[in-house]
Amino acid sequence: MNISRYCRAWCATLLLLTGSPSLLAATPDDQLIVGMNMNNLLTLDPAAMTGNEVMGIVVNLYDGLVELDPRQLTHVRPALAERWEISADHRQLTFHLRDGVHFHSGHPLTSEDVIWSMRRVLHLNLAQASVWKSYGFSKDNVDQMITAPDAHTVVIQLPKPNDPQLVLYSLAALGSMVVLDSKTVQAHAVNNDWGNRWLTTHEAGSGPFSLDVWQAKDVLRMSRDANYWRGAARLTRVVFRHLQESQTLRLMMQKGDIDIASNMAIPDVQALRHDPDLTIDAVQKGTLYYLAMSMKDDHFANPQVREAVRYLVDYQGINKTLMAGYGTLHQRPIQSGMPETLPDPGYRLDVPRAKALLAAAGYPNGFDTTLRVLADQPFLNIAIAIQSTLMQAGIRAKIITGTGNQIYGAMRERQFNLLVGRGGSGVEPHPHSSLRSLVYNPNNADSARLTNFQGWRTGFYDAQLNKMIDQALLERDTQKQQQDYFAIQRRYDQLIPALMPISQMTDSVVVNNRVQDYVPHPSATTFLRDVWKTPDSLAGGAQ
Amino acid sequence: MTLTKRHWRRARSRVLQVAITLFGLLLLTFFIGRVMPLDPVLAIVGPDADHATYQQVYHQLGFDKPLWVQFWIYLQGLLHGNLGLALLTGQPVINDILRVFPATVELATLAILLGTGLGVPLGVWAAARRNSVVDYLVRIISLAGYSTPIFWVGMIGLLLFYAHLGWVGGAGRVDFSLDGIVPRRTGLLLIDALLAGNLTVFNNALNHLILPASLLGFHSLAYISRMTRSFMLAQLSQEFILTARVKGLTEWQVIWQHAFRNILVQLLTVVALAYGSLLEGAVLIETVFSWPGFGSYLTGSLMLGDMNAVMGCVLVVGLIFVLLNLLSDLLYQVFDPRTKV
Repeated sequence: MNISRYCRAWCATLLLLTGSPSLLAATPDDQLIVGMNMNNLLTLDPAAMTGNEVMGIVVNLYDGLVELDPRQLTHVRPALAERWEISADHRQLTFHLRDGVHFHSGHPLTSEDVIWSMRRVLHLNLAQASVWKSYGFSKDNVDQMITAPDAHTVVIQLPKPNDPQLVLYSLAALGSMVVLDSKTVQAHAVNNDWGNRWLTTHEAGSGPFSLDVWQAKDVLRMSRDANYWRGAARLTRVVFRHLQESQTLRLMMQKGDIDIASNMAIPDVQALRHDPDLTIDAVQKGTLYYLAMSMKDDHFANPQVREAVRYLVDYQGINKTLMAGYGTLHQRPIQSGMPETLPDPGYRLDVPRAKALLAAAGYPNGFDTTLRVLADQPFLNIAIAIQSTLMQAGIRAKIITGTGNQIYGAMRERQFNLLVGRGGSGVEPHPHSSLRSLVYNPNNADSARLTNFQGWRTGFYDAQLNKMIDQALLERDTQKQQQDYFAIQRRYDQLIPALMPISQMTDSVVVNNRVQDYVPHPSATTFLRDVWKTPDSLAGGAQ
Repeated sequence: MTLTKRHWRRARSRVLQVAITLFGLLLLTFFIGRVMPLDPVLAIVGPDADHATYQQVYHQLGFDKPLWVQFWIYLQGLLHGNLGLALLTGQPVINDILRVFPATVELATLAILLGTGLGVPLGVWAAARRNSVVDYLVRIISLAGYSTPIFWVGMIGLLLFYAHLGWVGGAGRVDFSLDGIVPRRTGLLLIDALLAGNLTVFNNALNHLILPASLLGFHSLAYISRMTRSFMLAQLSQEFILTARVKGLTEWQVIWQHAFRNILVQLLTVVALAYGSLLEGAVLIETVFSWPGFGSYLTGSLMLGDMNAVMGCVLVVGLIFVLLNLLSDLLYQVFDPRTKV
């Protein structure tokens, strides 16, 4: 029949056009191809960046004064600073820069560049200024607080008492204080923007790789700097590709067309778990999945209602069935694995107890409320699970879904009832990092608008707890400091907080076994300078 | 003289119509964009930023001005050829559009060639053998093309032809290791590869293009074959066809030389509109295949609430349709003498 002739002709054409098997070889030995969703990658400017994706890129284009050892998180390693001292009064950090470091432009790196980069963060006052402002730095005092007595020394004075170890961790883990080539950036500044617009798509660093091109939601390519001060990276080129569809990412990972896949949907990660050519790295992050209640809502302002809600979450069930690959059970505001972290209090679903508490609070028949959640997994599944357990005690929560923007936007406005979200800094390996983000709330007034503190967003305020957090940070005796953090966690628990941690986040990265010495970092500062690949010809035998 | 005047008047009213249409489109998009519950400021500063930073960016973007002032500022910029800056890239919107558009043009052009090349003969064939097996098959094909979700077909296509059979390249315009090897001249990768004399990249790019273009082509084939079939049926029932048959012309001559010639102009409009909608953004296919084109750009900007970029895209889409309509009108005038009166 004629139609079959047409079909044959069409298939033959397709074959002719496409039948070139040599094009499907594995990735080149000297290039690393990373597939990821780049939707959140809006800028490469270290002062303005938000999110983890950009951090992993920036730390490979720039150098910081110090960095964290990915294998031993509390260990601060020298980077641009070969050594540093902390003054006896804990108010001053002095960094001694190594000699002979050059930017990609060829300009030598001096202490002037370091202090200019730090001033820039505070003057621009964009996303990355937040933590430094909480340490007391401002654009008005930064010129006095950060100085360069000579070309190789940088002195940082702390505007208010702080734990200098935390400041060191912030310098190492945040990526916001990487050092920029001040001359190059200034040459591209427009309207006093400190080069912000130019740096959105360019770099001016001294890192192991220099940027070739970044096209938003498409591709980012970087090539190694042959003159890098630590010695040239082993890979010649790193290509980050935007792959929005997790299933596409999975197919390409299976075919060996990409070497590393991040932000893949967990069902796809699980599907790759048994592939002998691939390894799944589960990286524990400091951020926590939580159920938040607004204390601006009369229901949840009542501690008995909050306590009832505490017993209306099936923590164990959620973590067992919904969180595989996303997170692990955790019920404390400080991330797990720290010497300061207390064991979980062991809360579990207890409907009769919750009902009794609700009755005592004056709601024997429960009440109606709303539960906001990101329209994304695992958030949505957690919300559905919580909705059903709340219902068992008569709390009828209507689920409202939205984008991150909408959900966290409502939280920032303190206009929500219940909310399933994820937060907490946990970037620095210091208990204060999480407490600052999740618990601390120095001023609960609406007008204070402390939107960067989730304590304020939930309206949870306890003057004594704030005082304890401030004091623990300044405690110099490490034993005593640890006891102080234990006490903070106990008090937080007794107060029946508005924000209840459910699970600690893990991030799954799928890595081809040809990739060697790739150590994903919990604070997303993953260094690629030492990464290499076994040659394709040996791929079958590798690992 | 009178003819020139009439032409001039017609052209002027046409330009006015286009301007009013585009203005209306912009006005609508602008206000819908502003009432959407999306906060581009939050996207820029991140969820953990403090209030001072939020306020600073809010002010920088001019969101503290009244809506109509914002719209007026946008229009003023537009009159100077300035579409504003995109939040997603920090680049002028016009540069972004020029960057992403060729990728879509490449995809859509191959798709429309495939869709037309197969859709028209299939439609003619189905009409010529009305209610035969062939006709039913063509109708099933076009129904399938209409009703199967292109996202799903794309995924299945990748699974079969890329992952299982290994005939075609995966996502993206070229294998990732070949990215950026050919210097960008036209933005059309096939042409750029040829200009650079790099056949490896050319083959590879073609290999990546064939699957998404075939799937999109299948989609437009459905529409084109269906329209062709109904145009042809209308022609074949006319008396002049009967006359031609009575005169003893072969069926081939009757169909192609008499009936088909008469539907050519209508078909051009159909193909032009199908091409327009492909250019507008084969959003889902671009998503599945990570195709860095116009559709991906537009959806990314929408998700972010990046209204400068969205308005720029809307303007481009509006212009494409206006131009395609104009083109098909002109073609009517050239080919169909009745419209000249």
